[in-house]
Amino acid sequence: MNRRLKDLASEGADVTVVNPGARHNTAVGLLHPCKIDIRGSVGYYSASLMDGPEVTIDGNAGWGLGENMMSGRIVLSRDAGASAASTIRGGEVFVGGNAGARAGISMKGGTLVVRGSAGFLTGFMMQKGRIIVCGDVGEAVGDSMYEGVIYVAGSIGSLGNDAVLEDVSEDELLDVWGTLESYGVEERPVFAKIVSGRRLYHLDSLERLEKSAI
Amino acid sequence: MVMPNSQVWSPWVIDDIHAKAELGRYRIRGFSTFQKVTHFDDLTFLSTGLTRFPLEGYKERCSTRTVLGARYAENPLALDTPIYITGMSYGALSANAKTALGRAATLTGTASCTGDGGMLDREREASEKLIYQVLPSRYGFDPRHLAQAQAIEIVVGQGAKPGTGGMLMGVKVLDEIAEMRDLPTGIDQRSPARHPDWLGPDDLAIKIEQLREATDWSVPVHVKLGACRVADDVKLAAKAGADAVVIDSMVAGTGASAEVLLDHSGIPTVPAIVMAREALRELGLYGKVSLIVSGGIRSGADAAKALALGADAVAIGIAALIALNCNREIPGSDFMAEVGVPAGRCHHCQTGRCPVGITTQDPDLMSRLDPDEGAERVANFINSMTMEMALLTRSLGKSDVHSLEPEDLAALTVEASAMSRIPLAGTNKVFGD
Ligand SMILES: Cc1cc2nc3c(=O)[nH]c(=O)nc-3n(C[C@H](O)[C@H](O)[C@H](O)COP(=O)(O)O)c2cc1C
Ligand code: SF4
Repeated sequence: MNRRLKDLASEGADVTVVNPGARHNTAVGLLHPCKIDIRGSVGYYSASLMDGPEVTIDGNAGWGLGENMMSGRIVLSRDAGASAASTIRGGEVFVGGNAGARAGISMKGGTLVVRGSAGFLTGFMMQKGRIIVCGDVGEAVGDSMYEGVIYVAGSIGSLGNDAVLEDVSEDELLDVWGTLESYGVEERPVFAKIVSGRRLYHLDSLERLEKSAI
Repeated sequence: MVMPNSQVWSPWVIDDIHAKAELGRYRIRGFSTFQKVTHFDDLTFLSTGLTRFPLEGYKERCSTRTVLGARYAENPLALDTPIYITGMSYGALSANAKTALGRAATLTGTASCTGDGGMLDREREASEKLIYQVLPSRYGFDPRHLAQAQAIEIVVGQGAKPGTGGMLMGVKVLDEIAEMRDLPTGIDQRSPARHPDWLGPDDLAIKIEQLREATDWSVPVHVKLGACRVADDVKLAAKAGADAVVIDSMVAGTGASAEVLLDHSGIPTVPAIVMAREALRELGLYGKVSLIVSGGIRSGADAAKALALGADAVAIGIAALIALNCNREIPGSDFMAEVGVPAGRCHHCQTGRCPVGITTQDPDLMSRLDPDEGAERVANFINSMTMEMALLTRSLGKSDVHSLEPEDLAALTVEASAMSRIPLAGTNKVFGD
């Protein structure tokens, strides 16, 4: 199926996939702008390793949704498994339901929006980009993040190593609300903002006992 | 009378305690372990006599052609020699070093491999057969680069630092490197130890399928493992669908690792090969899943012994760097000034002050390495190794390096016999059986 999708994508086609059967690796490695509408749930690594396509999925997704996307957009109507939007370098991923553990792990750019809640280690070792969680996040959010921003509207299980809270400016809030609006989310919650404390940047600037974190 | 020093509190141990008392953390360094372990010098070949006839070098050819990863890939990696250049990151290495290694690989009909930091354009142009690494960090990972690769290598672990991720100290995380890795400039980079999108071997099977789907099942997928629980790890990697497993032993080189891991984790190359071979055999996959080994391969003799023990190919790291003039004073270099030790004792790759321009990002230091001259030196070295292998193979009466087998070897120590399952020289006994 991926070979067929690649051919169609290279022509810039609009494609509808019906009965995807929760198969793993649905729509992998598409490197041209195109539109793909998947009607049903998908397995691991769906819409991953791609550069350019706009993918809508009406259902749930397994682990690694959109993994390492360079550019493009993914709109998932329901829940995503672990590691949604992991390592993405650009583009946007919208999860209409909840996201599992390690959402946005090692993100290097782009935006992940979770309408519901996100699990443990959300934004782990995140490098760049934005994560917006409208619900709650689990334990150790933003652990060891380098750069990037995590916005959380609900409760925070706990902050990860070197993750700190920072005030949100009005402009930022407007920006986040604008992103939500583009996905049809009408609520305008107030977000907490989590960024890197930058204490792990230099191993030798840590205090003696803090070094246990490296 | 001069007394010997204590064997327990050796000068090195004393120095180590002094260093940690100042640093307040574990030590980090490059190069490889300083532990003495059983290695290829503890094995010898049993060349021909009256029981077998040798081949004549000048008229009877010995094949060194090597095909890796033919299990599922439409286009397996076909090499003119069973020796290729291992993955060393652009970042740990300078751009000139990466380019030189890529060119050397092309000059000798073999492959080179990217590393933890993505694919450098110059390297891609230089190396006709380039293996693209998929590491836990995914620094610089780009599906377009993936689509250009001749093979893919999923790195689960490295022998010099099994169970942890890569390291690049802030002095090397500069400009293009920081940009390619999407990192803030000048930070001490610690790569993750676990992959972000899969955890266990069941997930790995789906990950491998993903990479195959992205590349239309055309190129092989290797899985690289630090040599620890080799038998089980190899079985799991093979069952997950790898075309090749790369076993990287505790002897393996590094640009930077915590010293405690360099010296105190993993097993040596010799037993790692044997365990991997037996694991594949148990699954009925020996010969189907290619077995590649790395860690302390220094010569054609080492490579030939690795093949005789069961490997299909070897990958070289530090040996290729030495061919590039690592640990050698060259015009313009000053080891004492840059790294505080004389050439021959340098293991300071982590400092970014490589006196010969290999493991540095400093433009002045890097200019000491000319990529064309470097490529010639490394190509000469790989060619010499390949010739040594062929010479040994012909002396054993064989016309293909892949026909080397354990029966061609004798062990020189009881430990080597036990670890290699080869009889001790002068006996018919395999110790430890
Ligand atoms: C300078 C340097 C950088 C390295 N960078 C990487 C890397 O980015 N990824 C990786 O899997 N291994 C890396 N390694 C390990 C090598 O791939 C290989 O496992 C090792 O060098 C083999 O041992 P040898 O050096 O004794 O031949 C590096 C090694 C060196 C010396
Ligand atoms: S000479 Fe350069 S490459 Fe060799 S050990 Fe020293 S710093 Fe590392």
